[in-house]
Amino acid sequence: VSAERGSRHPGAWIAWSTGAGACAFVTTNPVYLLVLGAVAWFVYASRRVPGPTARSFRVFLIAGLMTMVVRTALVVLGTVTVEATVFAALEGLRLAAILVIFGAFNAVTDPFGVVRLAPRRFHEPALAAALALSIAPRTVASVQRVREAQRLRGIRISPWRALPALAVPVLENGMEDAVMLAESMDARGHGRGRRTRYRPQAWSPAAVVTVAAAALAAAAFIWAAFGGWAELHPPTSPLGWPEVDTWLVGAVLLLAVPGFGPEGER
Amino acid sequence: VPRLRALLAGLVLTAPAFTSVLAAPAPACAAGPGPRAALVVDTGASVTTYCVALGASSVDGLELIRLAGRQHGLAYSFGFGGQAVCSLAGVGPSGGDCFAEYPDFWGFWRGNGSGGWSWSSSGAGGVSVGGGDIEGWTWGSGDSGSTHPAPPALAFDDVCEPSGGGGAGSGGGSGGAGGSQGGGDSGGGDAGLVEPGNDEEAAGSDDGAQSEGRSPSRSKAEPRRERDRPTPSPSERAAPDGPDIRAAGARADDPPGGPPAATYLAVVAIAVLVVGGRLRLRSRGPAR
Repeated sequence: VSAERGSRHPGAWIAWSTGAGACAFVTTNPVYLLVLGAVAWFVYASRRVPGPTARSFRVFLIAGLMTMVVRTALVVLGTVTVEATVFAALEGLRLAAILVIFGAFNAVTDPFGVVRLAPRRFHEPALAAALALSIAPRTVASVQRVREAQRLRGIRISPWRALPALAVPVLENGMEDAVMLAESMDARGHGRGRRTRYRPQAWSPAAVVTVAAAALAAAAFIWAAFGGWAELHPPTSPLGWPEVDTWLVGAVLLLAVPGFGPEGER
Repeated sequence: VPRLRALLAGLVLTAPAFTSVLAAPAPACAAGPGPRAALVVDTGASVTTYCVALGASSVDGLELIRLAGRQHGLAYSFGFGGQAVCSLAGVGPSGGDCFAEYPDFWGFWRGNGSGGWSWSSSGAGGVSVGGGDIEGWTWGSGDSGSTHPAPPALAFDDVCEPSGGGGAGSGGGSGGAGGSQGGGDSGGGDAGLVEPGNDEEAAGSDDGAQSEGRSPSRSKAEPRRERDRPTPSPSERAAPDGPDIRAAGARADDPPGGPPAATYLAVVAIAVLVVGGRLRLRSRGPAR
């Protein structure tokens, strides 16, 4: 699927998500994090691959919000103050931003396309990584298939009771997927040194621009983190307005670049 | 999507209630007859001491700083979720990263009551400060009690008068403080001895080396400050110094009342991206 015409090199999306993730990782400033979230949403909306994996964005968005709520609620374990609550909420927001970026990455590229990029000797670890990366979208797709099948057969279960009824077929699906994958890999000669590269994907100018934008954005944030020229962690005790640097807002907006351009291409 | 929107709305609506319910009410602490503890803040250029009314039988080390801020106007800011001290008396990083100016940071010392100091092995949030205790903070480099500068040799009685009254006897108190000033240096110089569990020894060496002077700038600054600060007058105490505390957190260049200008740029960018993404989703159709 990833070699479809107009699609961007998967390496470009790896660079994009790594760059955006690095930006989110080094800051708890809510302004930068919210802009990052908006950028991820825009890129997802513009460049998603049609199909079930595109729905994983919503799943990751909800997971991000839950993470934030749980992280904030954990404050109850310590001394509860406004300052501690705000600090925990900002930490949670950072986790949520990373999850949303990851959700966008899952929605815009095919994880198995990523495997092909790995050098031959690293093919197996890369395959394991791709499998791990694709667990969430594949589970989402599987859950939807099972629910559809249940609905078609007129099975109506309350949402809470549905969990065991859902878990068994979903796990079964996962096992089947894994066995099928192993068989197909075996059939293609994996692990026997007989692999050939089929239709390598070219780096389009758009992909190069994506990588450059991501690298610039990440560099700006890492420079700010080590150089200390901008405030990446707003003061939470006593509370104060976060200081916002125009250059860093610009750096985050660079990450939206792959979302612009004609809609036909990805 | 509607469910998500409801979830978001619920979050937004409940968040303020959540925080306001959980926020601990600020206890009104005037200097009364209750237990008091001493706090020594050594910025490297000057030393300031505070006699703090605890308002409880014991508080943690961070609460002691908050109380000093409320009662005496000590400017402070905490970081890492309010668990670490970032800046005191205007010295130290102003953001939430307390190690932004590393290797310099605020070191936490616990006094033994007779002028000796030991490097605290636990964070200020995890220690309990009771009546008659003395705690010290020093700005400088060094990751352990043997390398970080120690506070000057001060005992609880040098900071808080035994009489227990508000500003009474401040002259006597400052005399005592001045006398022990010289010894403070040896506390720093012999800091190898100032380890947890070695308090007695460290204190002893301090007493023996009282004649040793501190750096000129420091010994000049200290006695004056000591005389001025040990026990502010009751009127000073009664007025809690709110604005001072805030000033420690906010930078000089951003207005205290509202967000800085670049925030508006960010808000506009968020709105454009969210709406743009929505339009793109719609134009590409729901299912393909």
